[in-house]
Amino acid sequence: MGDVGTARFPGGPIPARAGIGLRSAHQDELVKRRPAVAWLEVHTENYFHDGGPHLAALERAREHYPLSLHGVGLGLGSVAPLDLAHLARVKRAIERFEPALVSEHACWGHAGGEHFNDLLPLPYTEEAVEHLSARVRQVQDFLGRQVLVENLSSYFAYTASSLTEWDFLGAVVERSGCGLLLDVNNIYVNSINLGLDAERFVACIPAEAVQEIHLAGHRRNRVGTRDLLIDDHGSAVCAEVWDLYERAITRLGPVPTLIEWDTDVPALDVLVTEAHKADTILESARELAA
Amino acid sequence: MNSPPEAASLSELQGRFASALREAGPQSEVAIRQLADCIVDDGLAPARRLQVYRNNARAMFAGALERTYPVLRRQVGEQQFAALAQSYRAEHPSRSGDLHWVGEHFASWLAPQAAADGRAWLAELARLEWACEEAMVAARLPPLAPAELARVAPETLGEVGLVLQPCVRTVSSPFPVWSAWRAGQVDGAGESADLALDAQHVVVTCCDTGLVLHSLPEQQFLFVAALAGGATLGSAVDSTALDLEALPGLLAWIFGEGLVTALRVPDDDNSLAGYVE
Repeated sequence: MGDVGTARFPGGPIPARAGIGLRSAHQDELVKRRPAVAWLEVHTENYFHDGGPHLAALERAREHYPLSLHGVGLGLGSVAPLDLAHLARVKRAIERFEPALVSEHACWGHAGGEHFNDLLPLPYTEEAVEHLSARVRQVQDFLGRQVLVENLSSYFAYTASSLTEWDFLGAVVERSGCGLLLDVNNIYVNSINLGLDAERFVACIPAEAVQEIHLAGHRRNRVGTRDLLIDDHGSAVCAEVWDLYERAITRLGPVPTLIEWDTDVPALDVLVTEAHKADTILESARELAA
Repeated sequence: MNSPPEAASLSELQGRFASALREAGPQSEVAIRQLADCIVDDGLAPARRLQVYRNNARAMFAGALERTYPVLRRQVGEQQFAALAQSYRAEHPSRSGDLHWVGEHFASWLAPQAAADGRAWLAELARLEWACEEAMVAARLPPLAPAELARVAPETLGEVGLVLQPCVRTVSSPFPVWSAWRAGQVDGAGESADLALDAQHVVVTCCDTGLVLHSLPEQQFLFVAALAGGATLGSAVDSTALDLEALPGLLAWIFGEGLVTALRVPDDDNSLAGYVE
């Protein structure tokens, strides 16, 4: 956390309510209207630079909303060394915007000097647990704070995997001290694509580690007689994912929840309406707990 | 008794995966087959599943290039741009987890083939769009008031340099790139670039509301470019043979646009220490 004495923006944790991903198409409207969403999230890499209208817009938005920085480019699980210059830019963005949460993915992304700019899956093996945990520790040591690690959507499973995805993530939490960003849409996508047991995933993930939830839409592709879901963040959250989210919240209690919508971005009000839907579920969980 | 095949290590898996994402043509089949051996086959072919990642890698790269070169894309059309993106990626794959840098070498890569096709102006347009991309993410500092220049003793004025905004870029082209850029804006759809026009010289900058492009007469452009390169006012005038009568108006424009952030004064002049870069 930044030094309170030198903080530029309002501090405090992200509330256990719904937020939205801030996209450039909405940045001016959001500051002008200030819709009733509890917090914002942005992709860290979009704010790596020295200036420009997008950076200025986020600074204006940050004056009114708590923020989460969500990285997509570190490729934490890559066997190739971490890009330390990239990591230094993450740190600079943290210092500039004072986010309450910082997250990345349980993935790899670069090899042989080439970056694929995608979230590529890791095998769920002891070797990968050890490797990813060491990388997360390296990042946390450099940043001087805990990061959250997000579960992925996958389009295949490795024959080498010897652990379940939830045991893999649980082991990384235990060995690195990271938190979890639980993407409920990704769990559902993997249940269709890989036959993952979504209910067991939600039941077995270490609840105390989950500090944020993502909800998003996906695209359904028919391949022969099978469905293959593509995690494109380009539509509303589907009914099955809302149901799974409710069950997750029942187990985890209220957790800050983000509506992610990155492609075919709709009007700001559509995102706000989705966020209010999540807020209704979070409120029910609070009432149950009271 | 045969022992089961040893599972690939994390390093081997990522190496095979990288090859399967990278390779094109006949080599891709070998790379895909090698990774497919490591993927669970549950009735949906591993190669088909892997294709999602191959498509993603191509789309992420092309999408980043499109965001940097929207005008060029409109000029050449979606199909040709996609083909250009694929060929460019084969020679200049992404070297960063930050997609901003993907298009860094695109203009110089495009230049020889655009010239061979008799469309050299396309690479010049790309050069201008990369300058725009750089300007869009560079800092814009508080501008210096022109009154500060008036404080400089007239006899030392020629030794003073103007420190321009970090977001200033200069692009001089034998082609009318500024006109082509304007014609290619979303609100300029339908206009075509008039290539019969003369060379154009563009100063690119960025403010809170977005990009600002100025097409300047050649001498005035060269003067601004010389200042951006660190020249003093005196050497900038000398090297560009700028008409001295045009100097006050040009300086008023430079300051009026907020392009100056500080004065660079000779080391032995302490009177303007507060403004020394």
